[in-house]
Amino acid sequence: MAQQIVEYASGNEMAAIAVKQIGYDLMGYYPITPSTQIAENLDLMRARGETDLEMIAAEGEHSAAGICYGASVGGARVFNATSANGLLYAIEQLPVQSGTRYPMVMNVACRTVSGPLSIKGDHSDLMYMLNAGWPILFAHSVQEVYDFNLIALRLAEAVKLPVAVAFDGFFTSHQKRRCYRFEQDDTVKQFIGKKKEKYPFFDLEHPITVGSYMNEPDLINNRYQLYQAMEQARKVLPALYAEYEQLSGRSYKEWEGYCHEDAKELLVVLGSSFDTAMEAVDILRGQGKKVGLITLHVLRPFPAKELCQACAHAKQVLVADRQDSYGADGGNLSLELRAAFQRYKVQAQVKTLVYGLGGKDFYVEDALHMFEWLENDTMPEFAYYGITPGVQKKKESEFFEPVTEEKTKLGIVEVVHGEQELTVNGATLNATAQIKKRLAPGHGACPGCGIPVNLNLLLRGIEDPVVFLFQTGCGMIVTTGYPRTSFRVPYLHNLFQNGAATLSGLAEACRRKQRRGELPQGDIVFIMVSGDGGMDIGMGSALGTALRGHRLLLFEYDNGGYMNTGYQLSYSTPKGARSSTSHVGEAQYGKTFFHKDMPQIMAAANIPYVATVAESNPTDFIRKAAKAAEYAKTQGVAYVKALSACPLNWNDRPDLERQVIGAAVDCCYFPLYEVEQGKTKLSYDPEKSNKKIPVQDWLMKMGRTKHLGKPEYQDIVQELQNEVDRRFMRLKKKAEHSSL
Amino acid sequence: MGQAVLPIKNEGGYYEIRLESIGGLGANLCGKMLGELGIRHLGLNSASFSSYGSEKTGTPVKAYIRYCEDKKAIRVHSPVIKPHLLGIFHDALLHNDGILEGCTAQTTLVLNTQQESKEVIAKCAQASEVYIVPAQRIAMETHSRINVVMLGAMGAAMGFVPLEAIKQVCEENLGKKYPDALAANLAGIERGYHETVRIQLEKTGKTDTEKNSCTEQELGYETAPIGGINPHIGNSVIADLSPSRQGYIPIFRPEKCINCALCDSTCPDMVFQFQKGIYKDKEMMVNKGLDYYHCKGCLRCVAVCPTGALVKGIEAQNPHKEHFLPNQDLLRQPNYYEKSGADGYITSESYLTEKRIAGGEV
Repeated sequence: MAQQIVEYASGNEMAAIAVKQIGYDLMGYYPITPSTQIAENLDLMRARGETDLEMIAAEGEHSAAGICYGASVGGARVFNATSANGLLYAIEQLPVQSGTRYPMVMNVACRTVSGPLSIKGDHSDLMYMLNAGWPILFAHSVQEVYDFNLIALRLAEAVKLPVAVAFDGFFTSHQKRRCYRFEQDDTVKQFIGKKKEKYPFFDLEHPITVGSYMNEPDLINNRYQLYQAMEQARKVLPALYAEYEQLSGRSYKEWEGYCHEDAKELLVVLGSSFDTAMEAVDILRGQGKKVGLITLHVLRPFPAKELCQACAHAKQVLVADRQDSYGADGGNLSLELRAAFQRYKVQAQVKTLVYGLGGKDFYVEDALHMFEWLENDTMPEFAYYGITPGVQKKKESEFFEPVTEEKTKLGIVEVVHGEQELTVNGATLNATAQIKKRLAPGHGACPGCGIPVNLNLLLRGIEDPVVFLFQTGCGMIVTTGYPRTSFRVPYLHNLFQNGAATLSGLAEACRRKQRRGELPQGDIVFIMVSGDGGMDIGMGSALGTALRGHRLLLFEYDNGGYMNTGYQLSYSTPKGARSSTSHVGEAQYGKTFFHKDMPQIMAAANIPYVATVAESNPTDFIRKAAKAAEYAKTQGVAYVKALSACPLNWNDRPDLERQVIGAAVDCCYFPLYEVEQGKTKLSYDPEKSNKKIPVQDWLMKMGRTKHLGKPEYQDIVQELQNEVDRRFMRLKKKAEHSSL
Repeated sequence: MGQAVLPIKNEGGYYEIRLESIGGLGANLCGKMLGELGIRHLGLNSASFSSYGSEKTGTPVKAYIRYCEDKKAIRVHSPVIKPHLLGIFHDALLHNDGILEGCTAQTTLVLNTQQESKEVIAKCAQASEVYIVPAQRIAMETHSRINVVMLGAMGAAMGFVPLEAIKQVCEENLGKKYPDALAANLAGIERGYHETVRIQLEKTGKTDTEKNSCTEQELGYETAPIGGINPHIGNSVIADLSPSRQGYIPIFRPEKCINCALCDSTCPDMVFQFQKGIYKDKEMMVNKGLDYYHCKGCLRCVAVCPTGALVKGIEAQNPHKEHFLPNQDLLRQPNYYEKSGADGYITSESYLTEKRIAGGEV
């Protein structure tokens, strides 16, 4: 046995350690809770110089899967980690990878997929993967996350298939446990061995074509090869388990049982609930009841025969599913187990309970109740466990009136149509305080958060009724935690790949109903609100919407990072800034590429109005909001971007945020301008006002960039300064020449 | 490594700890350190985790730790319902539902509060022992953080944890990353350990009242609108956000106010109640007061006020809050304001919380 050491770590941490020890070449990823920490931990190791893993932060999971696919075709050892909607966004790529037979390993920290958004753990994401042609290992403990990651890569390369290692989001990904890992990375590397490629892509003497177009005589044979590979995985796994036991002393097989040998009543359950349920089994065994437990370590290839052998003596089996295959009377685990029982003629009666959805906690008492359910003949074969009917209470009146037109259309903000441009009169801070706020207090934003500040400033300039679409992000999470809402106007959320497209549909439905006389005439301003993260993953959707020219307003609050999930870098994070995926250390200085220039990208879509706004210049902000709304009502897409403070992750004082924003404006990192009908106009030139400051002065105001003050980072600051100057110079030139 | 003997265990063989806190006070890291303490210094097996969710400052957060004998595996994954040790990081949390859930005659309670008060004693009477520690003051004085002071205090209250072991675990966690802050944090631990005071409880006879956690849930599959639709308007207003404050509030001095509304333009929480009125013989919007229910104490308004009409004040010295004016748009006052931070939780291992250990803001 090889030397091992004790770690006190979570599943995500152990996954990262395994990746580091294996010495993967590349990780393509996109942060999504609860799997994000794997990338965060690896980035921290990178910064410390402990690994040279190439880490590519994609702009979405679909791209992350593409990066992984490309790299594995190129012969690299490749790793990815994702969860929930991210897995579903990537899912199109999964059969591509398996069908063309390129091995890699992806970890899935399982989380519910939704409808009403939730980030908690269940298995509804993973079960979408069952038909993807990937072997799927399932780890129910932190230790297994580590062990299965090592076994997974061996399996992947042995059968030339990508392999998933799944585990419970939060329960396993986040809970810290005592576990073991090999002391020496070499032990791991020797176990994994050298990668062998049958068809090396970069053998330029022997070029190959990957990804042919294939018709019906051939495709079924290609699929059959995939089937054969999965069957080969079935054969390879026991040998891998045996070899791993030699090395680690830990013995695995395709499934695991607890007190199952002589059990008359069996509970079959996936993931961390298996461990919790052991306590219940001990209690019931203490009462002389012959109960036991089964869990699976492998979902694909499904170990039907082995499971049937394990359950052969049971009279009754209850499968607890942490997801539902709606309309099939069971989750996928139930359905497959029932099918296996029929095939191998197991006589046990099977019941199914759907439980623990959305991360609903599973207590020892729940396991005891489930065994009671199984014993009791009167309980149905299929049911949901842990649901609540609710209690009809006396209806209480609302706290607020809705903010309708008469509360906002006060004639304070006057938009005047000129020959080539709009001008706005009025709109002072005092006067616009009269416009009812569409946002109610009690939202959960951090103290000093810029998002509500920017939303309120935007809405001060818009007297017409508004309809909101929020993309996923802090702004959405803090305002609409069920059963509460902070909105006094209509609101819709959609995932951030797709907000702009969704709003396109919503707006067109409204206008169609208006045309047909089904809704009253009148202007409504349709506003999408997104963070800079949403404008990364949702950039395609936003550009498509801009190019189609729907009449709506896209509002971006740019706080320079994926703050909702704990501050991973976004494409708008300043170069050099520290984030949880761009750590600072001996081997790394923070984010390595420049901030995205989204306003110029939108301007290139030739939409009627693009503007940047900052709370440090509030009147300018309100007036631009008024103009944007006017264009969004009458002409097409208007895009407005605010630099938005995040005291938590910028790591600065909440009370000083307006000054920090002002400094970003004064150093021209965030210049204030508009592109109206194609013409660029600077709203504020710090050079002319004698207020221009070096970018460094702004950087020193935030904890996330404070390290850049050290002499060793001067060249990074200089690069950023040059880039900022270059971009500002171009803006000035554009403003000087109306044809640019 | 020492070999601690657990003084008390539940039926499953676990000694269980629950921390009740607010995002930003460092309970996650404290829970992690308690977990490591068990494994690395007490000769026990341990597990730890926190309530999960989106990471925000000022939102309620819970952390859970389980200890058991070294050889025993920790199999339970569910939250701690009946803690043997309950650490409450902020006394404002005592107003929240569920904070004292499962607090019984077997529970030792450690509370961060400035002073012993009748109200506190009455609230905590169901515990077996109650310890108080002025963690906020100690943290300010030692330039450490509330979580390390609480760590020291809880160590003392548990009775089986040597001070040296706590200091070691702190050193292992913070020493490498934040060497500059280590001495301050060790001082915080030490003072927390020594300045924790056990208070006398008047036993009223109903010592073992377990709070019933099964309150009737209003919204369920028969009563909730389909699709998760929320037909209400602005009902987030019932959240009382005052626990988000870190000891300071804006104080309004109307005589200096020029009604420029800069405060209203910078407030993220709709605190300022501007109404039509007369200022200098002119009809305009006039600042009538502040809705302190929803003020998170960020003090953005103080920073932008050009005339000193808004100044930073210590909340404890202004208990009555002059010019307190609840939201004027409300059709009716809530039956009660839910004493809590805002919705949402904090991720279990907070890179951010740790980051601030180095001494708070830059």
